[in-house]
Amino acid sequence: MKTEPFVIERTYNAPVSKVWKAITSKDDMKQWYFDLSGFKPEVGFEFQFTAGSKEKSFLHLCRIREVIKDKKLSYSWKYDGVEGSSLVTFELFDEDGKTRVKLTHEGLETFPAIPDFARTNFDKGWTQIIGTSLKEFVEKES
Amino acid sequence: MRRDVFQAIADPTRREILNMVAHQPLNLNSVAENFPISRPAISKHIKILNECGLLVIKQQGRERFCEAKFDKLNEVSEWIEQYRAFWTVKLDALGKFLEKDITKGSRKKSKKKKRRS
Repeated sequence: MKTEPFVIERTYNAPVSKVWKAITSKDDMKQWYFDLSGFKPEVGFEFQFTAGSKEKSFLHLCRIREVIKDKKLSYSWKYDGVEGSSLVTFELFDEDGKTRVKLTHEGLETFPAIPDFARTNFDKGWTQIIGTSLKEFVEKES
Repeated sequence: MRRDVFQAIADPTRREILNMVAHQPLNLNSVAENFPISRPAISKHIKILNECGLLVIKQQGRERFCEAKFDKLNEVSEWIEQYRAFWTVKLDALGKFLEKDITKGSRKKSKKKKRRS
């Protein structure tokens, strides 16, 4: 039995440079991702952000592991006070002016499956934040 | 100590043990002889797998056989599904952000907060 990394892909109608900026600029990320403590696309740079629900939120701790401009960004991803560590990798591919994004999240099996942790983080927490708040924000802006 | 499916598969030796008994039940000795580590160490891993509900130990005469129970592993895929839901939402948000950014054209951002950490 193997624990295979989680992979998800999307193609965006935007040039690679724009997507790269969206995943490496603190201002850009604040609009679709998270409000990070800071961000520099440099190996070893550490950043954090809090996400969760009103009842319980988790401090996410990340450290950049690999940066290849316009191609690859990789950082460790763990939760403060929770055992386990994972790795998130964004890979960008130029496809005739469009950009294919391949997101890999490895090491998920190292996290505990405390029901509270899983539920808070995903059902109530992030989905609500992103599904509601961000959607409203984006639609209001456009 | 935690006893759930994630604890069970966090260790490479335990994953290997599950692999071995996935196709056919094996007795403890057959499992142990495939590993360079001591028999008591293997027994401990098997005990953990058993406590996590991934493996049952059945007594057959003098021998004890290990049998995999895979329904528990579905918990893992549910866990992965939660991340799938999370990243789906995030990548959708990225798509919307990129679209919005393109329609805005070259218009510059009106305000820029200076906050460095």
